Amino acid sequence: MPLDHRRLRGPEESQPPALWAGTAAEDEEDEEGAGAVPRDPCALRPLFARAGLLSQAQGSAYVELGSGTKVLCAAWGPREAAEPGPGRLLCEFRRAPFAGRGARGRPGAAAEREAEREAAAALREALEPAVRLGRYPRARLAVSALLLQDGGSALAAAVSAAALALADAGVEMYDLAVGCALCRPPAPAASWMLQPAEPEERRAAARLTLALLPALNQVSAVLGGGRGGPPEDWAQALRLGLDGCHRQYPVLRQSLLRAAQRRDAAAAAGAAAAAATSA
Amino acid sequence: MPGPRRPTGSARARYAGSTVCSGLQLPAGPTPGERLCSTEEATAGSGTYTRHGFIFSSLAGCLEKKTEDNELPVVSVVRDSESQLLPNVGAVVTCKVCSINSRFAKVHILYVGSTPLKSTFRGTIRREDIRATERDKVEVYKSFRPSDIVLAKVISLGDAQSNYLLSTAENELGVVVARSEAGVPMVPISWCEMQCPRTHTKEFRKVARVQPQFLQT
Repeated sequence: MPLDHRRLRGPEESQPPALWAGTAAEDEEDEEGAGAVPRDPCALRPLFARAGLLSQAQGSAYVELGSGTKVLCAAWGPREAAEPGPGRLLCEFRRAPFAGRGARGRPGAAAEREAEREAAAALREALEPAVRLGRYPRARLAVSALLLQDGGSALAAAVSAAALALADAGVEMYDLAVGCALCRPPAPAASWMLQPAEPEERRAAARLTLALLPALNQVSAVLGGGRGGPPEDWAQALRLGLDGCHRQYPVLRQSLLRAAQRRDAAAAAGAAAAAATSA
Repeated sequence: MPGPRRPTGSARARYAGSTVCSGLQLPAGPTPGERLCSTEEATAGSGTYTRHGFIFSSLAGCLEKKTEDNELPVVSVVRDSESQLLPNVGAVVTCKVCSINSRFAKVHILYVGSTPLKSTFRGTIRREDIRATERDKVEVYKSFRPSDIVLAKVISLGDAQSNYLLSTAENELGVVVARSEAGVPMVPISWCEMQCPRTHTKEFRKVARVQPQFLQT
């Protein structure tokens, strides 16, 4: 029989790698569920934020949460648009191919692109009330968020990073938008938890993402759903989320101030070097 | 790569003291949404907005407070490295002609006032907006040529189909720099003619009148 050269034939004796990968993940989950101390539901993960790190974009920001979520965001200032009226904000959200744990179902599938488009629409809904679009008529502002590692509360981190990037780009804003995520485990009388990690988010019965403008005390976006219990529980979850946003706000502001200092120092050094070479 | 956060004492002190100070520009200034003062103490300048009787900052930059003699001081937030300017109605812009037509001239807007734009905007100078007198006897070919540098004023932001509408219907607006067919920068000799210094041929342009302070006599 002639050999079929169009197919790659593996060895006769082979086993799927998922056999080993599946057991490893289950071991971790059992350990966490059974032996771990129940975490404080109001505890915020450590947050790291830095603005002004990309040179290719006018504004950029990097936000990292303690659970391992890493988001990199870039923003570009006003460019010409064809439509009349106030300016428009174009948001894009992308997941890196290595962002999630385990294998991707089908790389490049429509479901992935749909999820990215939904996340981009959520980003836009959260950021639009914060940006002074009326000051940029006939202009287009672009924001692009890249999720490098998903450790839970990815959309909330992306909202904070995008607001920081826009402020770093010099776009006039009413306030910084701060994002916070909550989830509720499927146990019957469980309470809402702030900033879930990825295994908690996967097992959650209800998830919620909030975006808040802290100085004006206005909520710009509320997204989520699930089986969360009576409406009073949802209201209590909202209040918990707003409190979480307020607590994260000083860290983000400090990162903006440091970026401004670094920029001023670099400009002063550049001017001194130019004066030295010309003199 | 970003390292661990190390709060520096000097940064904290500067932030704690970076409230309003007259005439000085302090580094590490306000961030968007920071409340600066109330509207009774000062008026809002650029980079700020007012809400509920207070002035808030809308940029992450340096705080500036300018005190006039009789009026309230003006508080503004400035980011001096880049300023995102857009051409406003009534602003004088510097543009470069990219193509001409019998009805209009298409231009690229390069500068607004004296600040360069980072991304070029497109504009249109219609035939009837080139001159103030005898507007329908104008020939675009005798007023502009491609690659001329023109000073113009924005008259409209334009609707869905058109770009920014510009006008040169004033004495101080019009062609500032033009090259002749030989490629040499031309010298203006009247409000409608320019002459090439090498070949001495005259070409028609709608020339901008030079401001008295720029004339050397």
